[in-house]
Amino acid sequence: MSTAGTAPPPHPTPAANALATITTVAARLAVRSGHRRRPAGPVDRSLPVEVRALRRPCPDVAVLDLVPAGSAPLPRWRPGAHVDVELPSGLLRQYSLCGDPADRSAYRIAVRAVPGGAGSAEVHALTAGTRLRLHGPRNAFPLATAPSYLFLAGGIGITPIAPMVRAAHAAGIPWRLVHTGRDLASMPLSDELAALAPGRVHRRPDDTAGVPTAADLLSGMDDGAAVHCCGPPPMIEAVRRAVPAGQRFHAERFSPPPIREGRPFTVRIVGGPDVAVPADRSALDAVRAVRPDVPYSCRQGFCGTCHVRLVAGTTQVDTATPDPAGPGRTALCVGRAAGDEVEVDLGR
Amino acid sequence: MTATDDDRIALQARDVRFDFSGLRTDWIPGEPLASHVIDVLHMLLPEGERWFVEVFSQALPLVRDAALAEDVRGFIGQEAVHAESHQGAQDHLIDAGIDVSGYVEQIEWIFSDLLGERGLTGAEAREWLVERVGLIAAVEHFTAVLGEWILHSPDLDAAGADAEMLDMLRWHGAEEVEHRSVAHDLYMHLDGRYLRRIRAMLIGGPALAKLWTDGTAVLCARDPRLRGTPQRRVRLRDYLRAARRGLVPGPGMFAKAVLTYLNPRFHPARYGDTDAAIAYLAVSPAARRAGGTA
Ligand code: FES
Ligand SMILES: [Fe+2]
Ligand SMILES: [Fe+2]
Repeated sequence: MSTAGTAPPPHPTPAANALATITTVAARLAVRSGHRRRPAGPVDRSLPVEVRALRRPCPDVAVLDLVPAGSAPLPRWRPGAHVDVELPSGLLRQYSLCGDPADRSAYRIAVRAVPGGAGSAEVHALTAGTRLRLHGPRNAFPLATAPSYLFLAGGIGITPIAPMVRAAHAAGIPWRLVHTGRDLASMPLSDELAALAPGRVHRRPDDTAGVPTAADLLSGMDDGAAVHCCGPPPMIEAVRRAVPAGQRFHAERFSPPPIREGRPFTVRIVGGPDVAVPADRSALDAVRAVRPDVPYSCRQGFCGTCHVRLVAGTTQVDTATPDPAGPGRTALCVGRAAGDEVEVDLGR
Repeated sequence: MTATDDDRIALQARDVRFDFSGLRTDWIPGEPLASHVIDVLHMLLPEGERWFVEVFSQALPLVRDAALAEDVRGFIGQEAVHAESHQGAQDHLIDAGIDVSGYVEQIEWIFSDLLGERGLTGAEAREWLVERVGLIAAVEHFTAVLGEWILHSPDLDAAGADAEMLDMLRWHGAEEVEHRSVAHDLYMHLDGRYLRRIRAMLIGGPALAKLWTDGTAVLCARDPRLRGTPQRRVRLRDYLRAARRGLVPGPGMFAKAVLTYLNPRFHPARYGDTDAAIAYLAVSPAARRAGGTA
């Protein structure tokens, strides 16, 4: 049988020849199978919901109950999950689910108004009856079984932690919660959790207790406790470093940070077109607007799937950070032109 | 409290680094055969997982489900980092004087020629792409089973296996368990026919077994430290003995994996321990150094 389209094996052996034949047969069968393959139909998993109730446990925190617009129950989720909320303006924001996973008739989110934050301002202005579209839920902060738990929440970071606390409590697993924040009035949800087991909840406002160190937060925990931490990034980083090796440390995984202090530049694609990259976008995003099939994954420079050949020009992440793709290549997701333009070859 | 299919884990690659410069060729001390059985992964996976990345990147435009596309994207990044990590281990084997270049060349030929684009175009290229997605789904069932095994392998710790290598294998195993449904879901989305899925297993299973056996033989024969010793020749009974002692996955595990796959209602989410994967990623030194761990 001919093995068209392939080169001979570098080291001919009976097994290599057999494999060449088998894959040739497989390629033919694939083409035959294709005649009756039904191409994938579109799957729409977005969830139309309606704002049912909005309350304010703290002056700057809005808690929203979102109910399905249709009759189908909402998809199941587990503690730590989040949804992407499509706001009426088109903005997309990610919020942790903080209600009861067993309640499939509503999702609950809690949103703090951040000064200058367009998304949170829009959420705070929502009224009952407004229609929204959700995507997800997804879990970037899963809760796995452990002998015991130490939950650490900073401010609004309590949202994914609250259902974790309830789940641990319901499962009869020992747990402790430390909730920190500016002052008691700015620390939502943990008062309700304290009602479950007052002795297990430590609400620790900075205005009376001072800003805690990682060691303060971890003090008194048992060796087997799985630490689950959600809060401002510096708090997570400090706790990550302080949790002893061999002890479980869980935190939510972040999407890449927004681009700051970027300069606009032009990416010339071999074979055209030229693409303008604005100051606040990555070359990847700009290139994908014209070449949507360009592969990528991590968006942080390290996975290598978006690395392409650099034909002309030089790139860097910023003046202090070289392009992670190395010489002669560029990571489209983080690399930026050192000058005004670069030329890349997207061919494989 | 077990994460199952009703919990859709957000898949993201982790920026891990490993340093194998101090690694012994018998990184399970005194167990060169068991070490090399596992070392075969360092010869197969760099090319193999890069091929996964290539095939899945090409398949992405066919996906018409945004959530699945997101899974596939996460999968691609994880596999790309796996390939680089095993490449580091492979480079170390070569530095240690084990000449595996012939075997690796053959592997490159398999993935880039036999399983490459084969000069096909248009509809034929697309169907060959779907066929390869099916093959990857079958192979991913094995990687998930292996991941499950390495996450539950206390005998390796007891035998004093190298900590850096164990962390690499367990981080990889945990991500395999974490993303174990993606290739199957992609195949089901693009085609889903049972016979085609089984056909892929009938090709992938035996090919993998043969490559693994040959790879172990090459490593033992070329390991300069085994020159002049009887361990240079791999004997079935030595492998079975290592498997019984929990140092390598046993033949029963592979047989069971194939049988499971034959079930028409097979879905990877029903097999495997996501909790164990999550728990390991929370202690893995490499994942902790990488930050952003979940
Ligand atoms: S997307 Fe991972 S390196 Fe760019
Ligand atoms: Fe992998
Ligand atoms: Fe995998």
